[in-house]
Amino acid sequence: SLPALMKDLMTNACHRKCVPPHYKEAELTKGESVCLDRCVAKYLDLHERLGRKLTELSVQDEEMMRKAAVGSG
Amino acid sequence: MAVQVSESDQIKQFKEFLGTYNKVTENCFMDCVRDFTTRDVKPEESSCSESCLQKYLKMTQRISMRFQEYHIQQNEALAAKAGLLGQPR
Repeated sequence: SLPALMKDLMTNACHRKCVPPHYKEAELTKGESVCLDRCVAKYLDLHERLGRKLTELSVQDEEMMRKAAVGSG
Repeated sequence: MAVQVSESDQIKQFKEFLGTYNKVTENCFMDCVRDFTTRDVKPEESSCSESCLQKYLKMTQRISMRFQEYHIQQNEALAAKAGLLGQPR
């Protein structure tokens, strides 16, 4: 499902950005926890922005193709 | 009276569990297992993996929590827009 996929990708990304592969202890450090919170917020924000821009560009694209098709009639 | 979890929900939960299981194995293997001069898992690789597992689970729990909070916020915003939230008394 789409939200599950997004959550998967976000988890991967924030894992790489925030949790260094050291594993001396089983707990998340305070720094890692804060980083994860910020990472999730930024990821979701970016996802929204890119979604809007992508929609905008797709609509423009469609418009162009439609005009091209009409023009070559 | 206990709430019955529907079969399709149970299957979904189990699939999610399997997904996590596989992901954490790959992840902790990559990060913790370095010595290929032997077939045996060394004690430091084993303890690293165990910490890795616990940390990974805590991480996914935290991310899930924030993700849910975000969705709740989104739904509240939508409901407010649609005028479904009552006026404060």
